[in-house]
Amino acid sequence: MSPAERAQRWRSALLWAWALAVVVFMYLPALSLLLASSTSSRYFIFPITKWGFDWWQKTFNSIEIHILFKTSVSIALIVTVIAVTIAFFGALAFARYEWKGRSIYQKIVLLPIFFPQSVLGLALLLWFNTIGLELSWKSAVFAHLVWIVPVVTLVISIQVYSFDPALEEAAYDLGASRWQVLKEVTLPVLFPGLFSGALFAFLLSWGNFPLSLFTTGADTTVPEYLYSKMVAGYTPGVPVLGTVSTMIAAVLFLGGYGIIVLRRRARS
Amino acid sequence: MTTRSPVLELRGITKTFGTFTAVHGIDLTIAEGEFFTIVGPSGSGKTTMLRMLAGLESPSAGDILLRGQRVNDLPANKRPTCMVFQSLALFPHRTVGQNIEFPLKIRDVPAAERKARALQLMAQLRLPESYYGKNVTKCSGGERQRVALARALAYNPDILFFDEPLSAIDYKLRKTLEKELKDIHRETGKTFVYITHSLEEAMVMSDRIGVMRLGHMVQVGTPNEIYTAPNSKFVSEFIGDVNIMPVRLNGGRLVSDELGAEFLPPAVPTGFSNGHLVVRPESLRVLDRRDEAENVLTGTLYNEYALGSRIQYQVRVGERVFIAERLRQQALTGRLDTEVLVGWNARDSILVSD
Repeated sequence: MSPAERAQRWRSALLWAWALAVVVFMYLPALSLLLASSTSSRYFIFPITKWGFDWWQKTFNSIEIHILFKTSVSIALIVTVIAVTIAFFGALAFARYEWKGRSIYQKIVLLPIFFPQSVLGLALLLWFNTIGLELSWKSAVFAHLVWIVPVVTLVISIQVYSFDPALEEAAYDLGASRWQVLKEVTLPVLFPGLFSGALFAFLLSWGNFPLSLFTTGADTTVPEYLYSKMVAGYTPGVPVLGTVSTMIAAVLFLGGYGIIVLRRRARS
Repeated sequence: MTTRSPVLELRGITKTFGTFTAVHGIDLTIAEGEFFTIVGPSGSGKTTMLRMLAGLESPSAGDILLRGQRVNDLPANKRPTCMVFQSLALFPHRTVGQNIEFPLKIRDVPAAERKARALQLMAQLRLPESYYGKNVTKCSGGERQRVALARALAYNPDILFFDEPLSAIDYKLRKTLEKELKDIHRETGKTFVYITHSLEEAMVMSDRIGVMRLGHMVQVGTPNEIYTAPNSKFVSEFIGDVNIMPVRLNGGRLVSDELGAEFLPPAVPTGFSNGHLVVRPESLRVLDRRDEAENVLTGTLYNEYALGSRIQYQVRVGERVFIAERLRQQALTGRLDTEVLVGWNARDSILVSD
């Protein structure tokens, strides 16, 4: 074996080792969660002495958990619809049209992303109290939107930047009304961006803890429940719920990605 | 041409953006069925002009008349005109067929009728029928041009506008498409208004050409008029390789102070005292004898370029570079860096003011 070949072999071995280390580092915690949920004992003991899925059973049958999911899903779905609608027009203003004050707008609109979420949550709590809004999962929708709309605006803007404005002009010139231009050209061409934006909105809302903590009032979301159970009253039901929640997010994400890939393939 | 009725009349069209005036009070009449090309370098205001004609911009002053009707305030989607964009603006999420049918779908034409019309246009533009369901982003550059043109024709406009659609196409294909476009113009009998920065392209296709510079229409004429009688140094230089030198009129002869030479002038425009003398490469010949031309200069042969049927020679006279031509059969050989005679007859030169 020549020195060059040996060096090449070493290089690829190191690359593989590095990639593997990254994967293990990222996915071992999720795997531990699964492990921790697969015990039949009341407490978390390692190594696991009694394996079993009793806690999965209990979790799935719990009415309390059903309500939790309903709350989280409701918030995430409503946030997704409102966020994508606002962010679509926000992204057009961000990336499509030249207007006075655009560069200031581009900076201001992204600012909430960099605001620490727990501080934002507290600020919103104080604000909701001031204006006399009753706290519930509905007020959490507003809180989530404050943080998620900027993110989704950015995601959709990336798609809008690659949009040729002449497409709209061409459709208009070919006799389409403003509404037909939007329906027949703008929305379909920007669809991949809107879809990714919707995925982001749902997943960010689904996993959000700091904003929900301050703004859901008497209602509880899945991340809030997990936190409170870890602080006091841990059962292996916590890792069960954690695993399920992670899997839902993963399925949504991979499924969404799959749909985009399939659409692209169907077109060619 | 003069017997045809005007389809488009511009009266003092002006467009300002803030403090910048892109188009300065242009008057122009385009006849029914004419192929009119607006030529100009970038920043000459030609795209702004076209966008105003199409209804995508509104003029700051002046009137646009379409068959005698003022259309200043008629939006693009209500005008019987259609534009082929520089980027072509084909809808990437649609097939070739859906692109062509778009204007028909907007008008609620039944699906079967739409398809028949699309296939008919595809046949006319030499697009294979199998392309009907093909994704438009998978088409080649030339095919995309044809789809864009078919889509515009499907709208059945009175006037078609073209915003440099061929600028991104390679030379050979561009030459083919230029001729095809002119054929389509004949077949359809519609009015075409085309803009380009290439006067060569304009020459091939147009009935008349308007040359724009800094928002002004500096000359309007047939390709032959523009070629043989440019009215300014700008227009004459725009055509391509030309030999051009500053001259002044002195007692019926032209004097070049720079070259220290006197020339026999062509027809002198009234009131001309100084300006530029233009001699095209094909009129400037490398001579064997001094008496072969009325005006003769002595220079050094610096380089030669084979153009196929002709050969171009770069001849340097003092600091000035001249481009002269000879037929291939009379090519000079082994004469680089030697002294040569170049000359032209007075009637083959053009006098222009600045």
